[in-house]
Formats: sequence, C-alpha cells, structure tokens
Amino acid sequence: MSRVACVWVEAFAAAAAERAEPSLRERPLAVVTGAAPATRVVEANAAAREHGIRAGIPEAEAVARCPQLVRRPASAACTDAARRALLDACYGVSPRLEDVAPGLVHVDVAGLGRLLGGDAAVAERLGRAARAVGLPARVGVAGTRAAGRIAARAGLGVIIPDGEADALAPVPVATLDWSDEIAQALARWGVATLGELARLPRAALAARLGSMGLVAHDLARGVDDPAPWTSWAPPPFWEEAQELDWEIDALGPLVTVLGRVVERLTARLSAAYLVADALELRLALAGGGHHARTLALACPMVAPRPLLTLLEHDLGARPPQGAVTAVALQANVIPCRAVAGELGRAAPPAQRDLATVLARLVTLVGADGVGAVALTDSHRPDAFVPARFEPNLVPETGRDTGDAVLALRRLRPPRRVSVATDGERRPAVVCGALGPEARVIGCAGPWRVSGEWWDAGAWARDEWDVALSDGAVCRLARELRSGEWYLDGVYD
Amino acid sequence: MQTTQLVFSLKTMTRTSWIREGTITEIVGELSSGRTSLMTACLRDVTATGGTAALVDADGAFDPASAARAGVVLSRLLWVRCGGRRAAALAATDLLTRCPGFALVALDAGETPPRVSLGAAFRLRQAARRAGVALLLVGRRRVAGAGATLAVRTRRDTLAWAGSRRAPTRLVGMSTCVQIIRNQGASSPPPETLAEPQWWTA
Repeated sequence: MSRVACVWVEAFAAAAAERAEPSLRERPLAVVTGAAPATRVVEANAAAREHGIRAGIPEAEAVARCPQLVRRPASAACTDAARRALLDACYGVSPRLEDVAPGLVHVDVAGLGRLLGGDAAVAERLGRAARAVGLPARVGVAGTRAAGRIAARAGLGVIIPDGEADALAPVPVATLDWSDEIAQALARWGVATLGELARLPRAALAARLGSMGLVAHDLARGVDDPAPWTSWAPPPFWEEAQELDWEIDALGPLVTVLGRVVERLTARLSAAYLVADALELRLALAGGGHHARTLALACPMVAPRPLLTLLEHDLGARPPQGAVTAVALQANVIPCRAVAGELGRAAPPAQRDLATVLARLVTLVGADGVGAVALTDSHRPDAFVPARFEPNLVPETGRDTGDAVLALRRLRPPRRVSVATDGERRPAVVCGALGPEARVIGCAGPWRVSGEWWDAGAWARDEWDVALSDGAVCRLARELRSGEWYLDGVYD
Repeated sequence: MQTTQLVFSLKTMTRTSWIREGTITEIVGELSSGRTSLMTACLRDVTATGGTAALVDADGAFDPASAARAGVVLSRLLWVRCGGRRAAALAATDLLTRCPGFALVALDAGETPPRVSLGAAFRLRQAARRAGVALLLVGRRRVAGAGATLAVRTRRDTLAWAGSRRAPTRLVGMSTCVQIIRNQGASSPPPETLAEPQWWTA
C-alpha cells in the first residue's frame, strides 16, 4: 500500500532567510529582488503577510504597508543551502525522496508506520527533523503525492488509506495555487471547495478548460499525475554558505557569522549521522578575490564549538587579505561509527571531551602538532604520515613483544655535523653534534640504505651507530650524493 | 633528599600495575641512559592492551618507527608536538591530564625540562587523580618534586657491539640500570641495591 508524506515549507525564500538569521523570525520580513527602483517582493513571512504584503508587489508599496518591514535580498546560495538542508533532514527518516521544488519534498514512507508507531509518528518525526535544521515545515501523509501536498498545505495531517476523497472534500480551493484562468473560472462558477470541484463532470471540465481542467479535477480528487517518481540522492558534498549584507574586516564579527554557518552545517551532519574529518573554508573578498583554507581535523567531530574554535584559530593565524563579503563552509564527511566497549577494558575518551581537548591543543600548538601518525611503506628515514586519532574504533591490540627495543630520539631536521674520519674512513671525531667536539669511542657501520632510485627523489646514505666521548650514543648518516654528514638522532 | 633504593625487576616495572593511575611518576636520566626507551615501553604496555595514551613531546623527538618496533600501537597514541616550547608542553600536559579516558599521559621534556612550582605539581597530581590518568614525566632532571609519587633514575650500564672489536659492524643493544630515587609511602629505606640491568635491543 503506497503511503507518501509531503514536507512543505511555506514561503521558502523567507524561511531560508530566517534560517540564516534566526533573529528575523519574530519580525515582518520580505525577500526582495531586482534593481532599484523596480525592486519587488519575492516572498514574505507570516508576520509580513498579515500586513497584506504578497509576492510580486513593489518594495516601496510593501514598506508603505509595513514601515517595520525588514528586507533581505534574494540569495540563491542561502536558498540552495536551505533546500539541501531540508532534503538532508528528510533523508534521515526515509531514503526515498523526491525533490519537487524548493521547500517541497515527497517522502516515501510506506512501511515506516510499523517501525515508528503509525503515520502520525512518521509525520511528527519529519516535522521535527525539518525544525532541527531551522525550517518550520508542515507534513501531510496520504496515499498519493497530490493528496499529501494538499494535506500539508491545508494542515490535514494524516489522511487514512483510501480516505483521500472524503478528507479533501471540505478543503477550500483557495488553499492551492491555481493559474489565473482556473482561479477565475472556479470563482465564476461558485466552486468553493475541492469536493465541489471533484463533483463537476470531467468531460465538461475538459471541454471548457482543456487539459488544465483535467489536472485540476485530478488534484481535487487526490489523484497523482502520471509523472514517475524521481528519487533524490544526497549530493556528494556538504556545504553551508551565507552572503553578507555588508563587508566584514574584523575577526570578531566574522567569527559570529561563521558560528551560525557552523551550527547549520553540523545540524545537517548530525541529522544524517555523519561526522566531519576536514573542513574547507572559502571567503569571498571585496575586490573579487577569495581566501580559501583547508583544515584537516585531528579527530572526526561534529560538535559546533570545537569546529568554530579551530576556524577562529586558523583565521587568527592566517587572516584574509581583505574585507569578507560571503562565507562558504564545506565538510568532508565520514559515517559516524558507534563502537561497543569491551568488558574489563577502560573506555577511551568520550567523543565530546576529546573534541574539546583537541580543539584547545590545536589552539596551543597548531593543527600540525596534534594527532596520531602512521608509518609509510618506505625505507626512507623518518617516513610517516599524519593519521586520524580515533581511539573509539574497534580496539586493536598490539603484540606483547618480549624484547625491549632501544628508542631513538630524532632531530628534526637532522643536524648537519662535521666528521673527521680515520684511515679506514670510519668516523673518529664529530663536531657540532651535541657539543662542540666529541671523540668517537665506538662505532658500527656503515649500513647503506637507499630508495626511489627510479625517481627524481632518489636518495642513498650510509648510516653509522656511534658512541661519543660525551656519553651520547648517536646515529650518524652520510649522504652519498653530497658527502655531507648529518646527526639523525640519539639512542636513549 | 632521602634516596630510597629497592631491588626489583624491570619486567615488573613496565606492567600496567607499576604505572599507577592517578599519580605522577618521573623518569630522569642523562642522554643515552635509557629513559626514552623506558617511556616507550610504558606506552607499549598501555596501547598494546587497548588503552589510550598521549605523548606531549616538547622537542618533537619521538620516533614512530622505533616505537612501532617496540610494540606501541600508533593509532591509539595521541602525539602532541610542541616545537621546543616548554610552557606549551606544560599547558598541553595539564589539558590532557584533565581529560578522562586517557590511561597514560607522558610528557617528554627533553634535556631542558620546564620549572614547575610545587603548587603546580600538586595541582597536576590532583587533576590526574580526579581523571584517573597516570601521568609520566620524563626528562634530564626532576620537575614535580614532592608532587611525584614515584621517581626513578636511569643510568647506562654497558653497550654491546657485534663484529670484531676493532671494527664492529652493528650496535646490538644497551643495558640500563634503574634506581628508585623517590617512592612515596615506603615505610623505611632498605639496604642500597640497584635493580638488575634492563637490556634494550637496537
């Protein structure tokens, strides 16, 4: 049995603007477009509509009707971000969605009622998911898409199976958006409800209004059009953007704007059970340039405050070279994995505690100084790459080796030293290692290591383990290409 | 300063029971005395049994390759590189000590450990006790004073070479003597004896 939920956000452009600036929700708001003096209202929120402000009226007339009206320019980036947020929120409930229009989503909820406790629970879940990403949505559940749309717009909620005709009958025709021709005809005939429209003879309606009349008749009965279901798939990237009404050239206000962007992005990630392991920040600058930064996170996280702290630190260390006019933040996402702990083994740090500590460590020592590492498959000395620190993964136990290994304390970068050799070309005196000069009292080698001979980065060196008269036991290396000696590290 | 020396085997030293949670333990010694190898063995014992550890590396001297050979599970070790800044290293150690979930937090202070007041040391110990974290301070000299529950000194005993005496071909290993210089809670100092030397394989 087919069950479709329709998630509808009224006046979507205005709702997207309110999502970007939550303080506008309580004030009359109109989204305008066009160049002055021909600026017109695109959409208005409920508070503005109470003053008679409708789509299409000039901005000057709107201001005259409501002097407290707040105007915002239509922003494609803001609307697109809100549209994606609504889709992401619905995707967290059901994977089968149809993106009909901005602010209008069909969700296939067949079978979900058994899981969630009925169609009313499904509708409530969808509404809650939409509100979590900052969009007040109305949800209607019915057997067809058309009936679901009407149920959402008219506030009918759930229509029982095969009850579309009875449920839609008392709905006023003015609830739906008709073309001018249809609206005038219905007004002329005195058709006030969808039930009256459904009772009109179909053939006569087609004769007077053509195919548009048949579409209207089907809509009144809650019958879907024959267009197939076009499933929506999540986009391959997660981004939130905001255009600024004025240029920002100070860090404080920029961080405030970034905070809102981060909160919207993390709310979407949380709704889809994803976490971010890298962030890409793009700031549009006055004058046409861009400031782009990529932040690799030491630990996958989705908490907004540590992410904002990281961004603030990065902007403080590398500020943009101009005033900022727009902000875009993109996350590289990975699934959020829950791992059960093991009995008798201490639990790793909690994700939220770890994220906060890591953010503060990054502020202290820099993003490059915090994280785990992994060895690379190379013979090159000191070959390792940064790795994500994920102690919450399935515990990996190491080998309980019986031998204790002598550790090496590395010098980064290796220190260039002067080495005098004896007659057998073995190191005899080392200058500039850990002191001005030290005699070699024991040495072993050379051990030749080389690699990447097939590449421009070919390297080769002879390594020696030496014991010096000052007590240190070191590893020296002589680069074969240059003949220079380096102190790699000290055994300790 | 009263010096307490006990006989014990290093094999029991590097078990988790020796690294007591909620306390500060210090390892001091000259360069090439084995103090870093002892710290690495502690990191191995924690990470190999599923625990999470953090290493605050004041000088950025940690070698992942030798640690992995020793058995340290690198994916369970958080490495914080401080670029030689002692104040940042202390602050990072304080942050990590207050985060529950780390079984061991080690500070490798290198050849020039920072000055830590007695009050700061006791605050660190209190933080470790509250979070249930074992704090390990490693460096050329002691920093925690009376704040440390246990302090040991490493001293190189012998170096072993392979090959001919005149021209050895390989450094085989190094043996280290470990001496306890502070053990809070010990009733009375036993006769002066040193621990049996620990052997580190190169």
